[in-house]
Amino acid sequence: MIQLKTMMNCIDNSGAAIVECVKVMKMKRHAKIGDRVIVVVQKQRNFSESGPGASVSTSAANKVRRGDIRHAVVVRTAKKLQRPDGSVVKFDDNACVLINKAGEPIGTRLNGVVGTELRKMKWSKILSLAPMHL
Amino acid sequence: MAMPTPTLRPLSCWKSLLRHARHQKVATRSLTTYHKSVTFSKYEIPTPGASIEVTRKIKTYPPPQSPAQKFKEPLKDFTKHQISILDPTGARTHLFSKTNPEAAKVGDILLVRLKTGDPFAGVCINIRRRGVDTGILLRNELTRVGVEMWYKIYSPNVEGIEVVQRREKRARRARLTYLRKPKHDMGSVQNIVLAYQRSRGAMRGSVQEKKGGKKGKGKKK
Repeated sequence: MIQLKTMMNCIDNSGAAIVECVKVMKMKRHAKIGDRVIVVVQKQRNFSESGPGASVSTSAANKVRRGDIRHAVVVRTAKKLQRPDGSVVKFDDNACVLINKAGEPIGTRLNGVVGTELRKMKWSKILSLAPMHL
Repeated sequence: MAMPTPTLRPLSCWKSLLRHARHQKVATRSLTTYHKSVTFSKYEIPTPGASIEVTRKIKTYPPPQSPAQKFKEPLKDFTKHQISILDPTGARTHLFSKTNPEAAKVGDILLVRLKTGDPFAGVCINIRRRGVDTGILLRNELTRVGVEMWYKIYSPNVEGIEVVQRREKRARRARLTYLRKPKHDMGSVQNIVLAYQRSRGAMRGSVQEKKGGKKGKGKKK
């Protein structure tokens, strides 16, 4: 149930950690898994593995910065989502993956499980990056 | 000269009237006679009051059985019929029946094998008993994200449900929703499930090695 002002985790390595939804695209309802939204980057990710000395390199690695407006795809929702076979899936958090306007993911890696609905919505590139889908 | 007109003597008309009436009375009395009807036909015409004797018997049929009597609890029968189709062996019903002491209960770690896709394992935190719509809620942690899945136990998509590990003590709640709280969260049960699968694979391997090998390959894909 992603709508205006919803805060989501960004699970790719584009550099965003927490993003806020500002618009759900192509519909007047809330967004579900596989829907495209427009987000504002609220919090940048500081990569712990690079250490405090490599602050310059982290900022260079970050493809997006705080305050950037980007497109994203919802990959997990805390709202229950019923599948056509009757099973229901629910995650503990809301998460998304940043994409460019052409629909390609900005990051190169994903960390975290994503919903299988992405296949139905033809986000196969995100599915192939994901370590696991359910 | 005074004319004896009826206008002058209004009561004079009574005399003629009464005379006329007397005459009529005599006439009616003379006409009233006892009449006996004589039938001229051979067959007696039945009088309306008399009962008619029927010689030919009319065939009668009993009323059809009322559907309300035939199907006393239609929904119950329908559910039973559906379950008999979806679960012919009755194993699934037995696994979740309340009378079975070996049944799967809330708090147990269950593994749901699916016909399409990977099996899903998790702690059962809710069993929703609704006849053919009976479902179970499993919770697990995948890649450090909590995931909950509802599965219908009679779904044709569900190949099998296995009890991986039982809860040591019976849960004193019907729904263990408190397992979502960080204090009570069991975290990932993947290790327990993997150990269970390995032990099952070893057991199966001793009996029929070929099948186990094939299954392992299938899972890797």
